[in-house]
Amino acid sequence: MDAAGIRLDRLSKRFSHRVKGEVYAARDVSLRVRPGELLTLLGPSGCGKTTTLRMIAGFERADAGRVFFGEQDVTGLLANQRSIGFVFQNYALFPHLPVFENVAYGLRVKRQPEAEVARAVHEVLGLVGLRGHERQLPHQLSGGEQQRVALARAIVIRPRVLLFDEPLSNLDAKLRVHMRGEIRELQKRLSITTVYVTHDQEEAMAVSDRIAVMNQGTIVQEGTAEDLYHRPASEFVAHFIGRVNLLPGRVLGAGPGGTELEVAGTRIRVASHGTGPDPGATVRLVLRPETVELRPAAPGQPPPGMLLGTVVSRTFLGEKVEYQVRVGETLLQVTRYSAGPLESIQAGQAVLVQLPTDGVALLS
Amino acid sequence: MARAVRSAGAGGSRLRQDPALLATVVVLWALLALFVLYPLLMLLGRTFLEDGRPSLHGVLGIVRDPNHLTALGNSLLLAALVGLTGTALGFLFAYTAARAGLPRGWRTLLDAATLLPLVSPPFTTAIAMIFSFGPRGLVTYQLLGIKGATVYGLPSTLFSETVTYFPIAYLTLRPILATLDSNVEDMAFSLGSSRWRVFRTVTLPLAIPGLANAFLLLFAASLADFATPLILAGNDFPVLPTQAYLQITGLFDLQGGAVLSFVLLVPAFGVYLLQRYWVSRRYYVTITGKAGARTAISGVAPWARLALIALCLLVAIVICYFYALLVYASVVVALGANHAWTWRHYQVILTEGMKAIRDTLVIAGAGMPLGGLYAILVGYLVARKVFPGRQAMEVVSMVNYALPGTIVGIAYLIAFNDPPLVLTGTALIIVACYVFRYSPTGVRATVALLHQIDPSIEEASQGLGASSGTTFRRVTLPLIVPAFFAGLGVVFIRSMTAISATIFLVSINWTLITVRILENITELSLGPAAAFSVLVVLIVFAVISAISALLRRLRAPGTMAVTSLLGG
Repeated sequence: MDAAGIRLDRLSKRFSHRVKGEVYAARDVSLRVRPGELLTLLGPSGCGKTTTLRMIAGFERADAGRVFFGEQDVTGLLANQRSIGFVFQNYALFPHLPVFENVAYGLRVKRQPEAEVARAVHEVLGLVGLRGHERQLPHQLSGGEQQRVALARAIVIRPRVLLFDEPLSNLDAKLRVHMRGEIRELQKRLSITTVYVTHDQEEAMAVSDRIAVMNQGTIVQEGTAEDLYHRPASEFVAHFIGRVNLLPGRVLGAGPGGTELEVAGTRIRVASHGTGPDPGATVRLVLRPETVELRPAAPGQPPPGMLLGTVVSRTFLGEKVEYQVRVGETLLQVTRYSAGPLESIQAGQAVLVQLPTDGVALLS
Repeated sequence: MARAVRSAGAGGSRLRQDPALLATVVVLWALLALFVLYPLLMLLGRTFLEDGRPSLHGVLGIVRDPNHLTALGNSLLLAALVGLTGTALGFLFAYTAARAGLPRGWRTLLDAATLLPLVSPPFTTAIAMIFSFGPRGLVTYQLLGIKGATVYGLPSTLFSETVTYFPIAYLTLRPILATLDSNVEDMAFSLGSSRWRVFRTVTLPLAIPGLANAFLLLFAASLADFATPLILAGNDFPVLPTQAYLQITGLFDLQGGAVLSFVLLVPAFGVYLLQRYWVSRRYYVTITGKAGARTAISGVAPWARLALIALCLLVAIVICYFYALLVYASVVVALGANHAWTWRHYQVILTEGMKAIRDTLVIAGAGMPLGGLYAILVGYLVARKVFPGRQAMEVVSMVNYALPGTIVGIAYLIAFNDPPLVLTGTALIIVACYVFRYSPTGVRATVALLHQIDPSIEEASQGLGASSGTTFRRVTLPLIVPAFFAGLGVVFIRSMTAISATIFLVSINWTLITVRILENITELSLGPAAAFSVLVVLIVFAVISAISALLRRLRAPGTMAVTSLLGG
C-alpha cells in the first residue's frame, strides 16, 4: 500500500469545564504529516495532543476543522471507516481472546479468508517476535509482549495511518528504550504514515522524523529534533526540550556577521539565527548547558568575550560534571564532559565563562 | 502449605499475647457456633436421623413423592426463568445507564425505579399484580372487562419475581459495564468493526462473568422466595419453599419441612460453589493505564440509544404504576369494587396493626447496632488479623447469608424450639436471625474498605505502643465507620422487609409487619396489606435517606451507598 499523508486543517475541539466554562482542548490545529513520515505530538499533559490524536483516529468528533488522509476528507467518517491502526497506552488488548485472535480481529472484521488470516497473523507475529505465543491470553504475557501484540494487531490490517497514544509509558525504563527502537524500525520498514503522542522529549527525539510541540491546545513549534533543540522559537519550547539556560542580554547592534550584545556587563558577539532584533532590545540567549565552557580564572580583567562567574556547586556524575555558576543575576547550568584543568575547581571559586559564539538562539 | 502452618503458628502465639483479640475471637466463634452451625446441624439431624439412627427414610420419602418432585422441578424452572429474564432486564438497565449518555435526571429516575423493589417487602409487586390483573383487577376487570380473570400461575409469578429481583442484576452489572476499559471497545471499533459487532465480540464476552454472577444471584433469590409463589403461584404451580412452609405451619410436620428445605439446600449450595469457584475466577483483569474518556461516537448508535431508553422507561413506568396502584389501593375502600376515599386502612394498621409495627421497629432497632458491630468486628478480624481458623470464620459467617431464608428459618425453629436452648417466642431469635443472615453484606463492605486502607497505618499505631484493642478503637474504627453504617442500614432494611426466614419464628409475643401483610393477603383484606406495604416503604426510605446523608458527611475512600449493598 502506498502511504498517504495526513493533513489537519484548523482542527478544534471544545469541552465544557466545571469551573472554567468552555475550554479548548485543541484550537485551530493545522498540521501536515508527509507520507511515510513519523511525526510526534509532544507536550505536557493536558496540552491537547491526545485529543488531537483521537480526532485523527475518529474517536472524537471535531467541533471545527477537517482531517484529510491523502486527498480524502475523512472528517465525517467514524473510526471504523478510516482504516487506522491505533496503539493505546494500556494496549487495550481483548482480554478474552488469545494472541492469535487479538491480532486476527481486524482481518476477521474484513471477512478475509481463513488461510489469508493465518498467513498474515503468522507474518506479523514474526515481525514483532512473538511467534509461538499465539495461544496465550493477554494476561499471561509480560508488559513488553502485550505491547508487541498491540502493535501487531494495529499493523496487520495494513492501515493507512498508524497512531500511537503514549505507547511506552506502562513499560519500565530499559524496555522503553528498547521498544521505541523497535517501533521506529518497524515503522520505517513498513513506511506507514504515523502520528505518535508522548510527553517524553527524549522518546520523541528518538523515534521521530519531525516533532510538533503542543501547549494549551495549539501547536507552538514544528520541526526536526535538532531544530527544536538548537532553535527553539519560544521559552516554552526551550524549556520543554532538554535543559536550558536563558541569559538576559541587551542588543547593541546587529550586522551581517552576527549580533553584538551586552551580557552581564560584557560585550559579546554571537552569530545568531533568524532576523536580528533591533538595537536596544532586551533578549534572552538560549544556552544549552553543554555549550558553555569554563576556564580557571586568571588574575586581572577577564579576556574579551568572556564572563566572570562564581561556582555555586559542582556535581561529579561519572562521565560528566555538572556545575552551577553564578553570572551576574543568573544561575547557569554547565555540563562538562572532560574535566581537564577544571578537576580542581570547587564551589565558591571564581571561573571564566565562555559562551558559544555560533548558533545561539535569541528570544525576545 | 509450609507458609500456612507457619502463619497459623505465629497467629497462635500472637493470640496468646493479645487478650483483647483472643476474647473477641472466642466470643465471635461462640456466637457463630450457636447461631449458624448449631441450627444447621440440627436441621441435618432432623433430615437424616430417625430415633437417633442415621436414615435416608425422610429424604427418600420426598424423592418418591411425585408432588414434592413436581414442586422441586417447578422451583428450579421458576428460578432459572427468573434468572434469565431478570439478568436480561438488569443488563438492559445497566447498559443503558453506562452507555446511553443519559442526563443526570434520567439516571436518577432509573435508579429510583430499581430502588423501589429493593426496599420493599418481596411480595409487594405480587400484591400489585393482584390489584392489576386479578379477578377484580384494574386492567383485567375495569379496563378489559374480563370476568373471572385468573392471575395465578407461572407467568405472573415469573413476572412479579423478575420485577422484584432484577435490580440485583442491575446493581451487579452496572459497575462491571462502567469499569470496562473503553479503550478495548474503541480498539475493536477502529479495526473496522460495526458497533453491533463490537458489542457482540467484545462488550458481551467481557460481561459474561458478570452476567453469570447476576444469573446465579437471581436464581438463588427466586429459589428462596416463598412469599411471591404463596400469593401468586396458585395450586397448579406448587414450589418447594411454599410446600415446606405449608408442611410446617399447616401440618405441624417439622421433619417434613426440614427434609423439604434440605432438598432446597442442594441447588442453593451448587449455586454458591459455582459462584465462588467458577465465576469469580473468570473476571477479566484489564491492565489499567490512562483510562480513555468514553467516547460518545463509538458507543451506541443514535437509534439504538433511543430504543434502550424507551425500553428502560417502559419498565420504570410499569414499576411506578405498580407502586402507585399500591398507594391508591391503600386509600380507597376496596380496589376494583368501591373506589371511595378512605383512611380506614391506615386506621386499621395503626390500631390493630400497631403491635406488629412496634415489634418490627423494636427488632429492627435492636438488630441495627448489633449487626453493624458484628459486621465490622468480623470484617476487621478476617481482613487484618492472623489467627487460627480465620478463613473458617469468614466462610461460616457467610453461611446464613448464602442459604435460602426458608432453610435458615426452619433450622432456627428446629434448633431453638427444644431444650437446651428454648428461644422460640422471643424477640432474641428474630434479632439473631436477622443479624447473622444480613450482616455478611456489612462484613464484605468492611473487608472491601479495609483493603483500601494501608495496613501500615495500623502498624504505625502499634509501633507507638498501642495494643490491638486501642489501635482498633482509635485508628481503624474511624476509618471503617462508613462500613459500620452501611452494614447497619442493610440489617435495618431487611428487618423491615424480609419474611422468608422469620415467618417461622414469629409468635404471639413478637410479630412482624411483613407477616401481618401476608396474613392480610390470605384473608383477602388487601386494603390494610397495601397500607402496611406503603408504610414499610416510607419508613425504609426515610432511614436510607438518613443513613446515606450520614455516609456522605463521613465520606471516606470506598464509601458505598446502602442500597448498592442490597445487590450482592
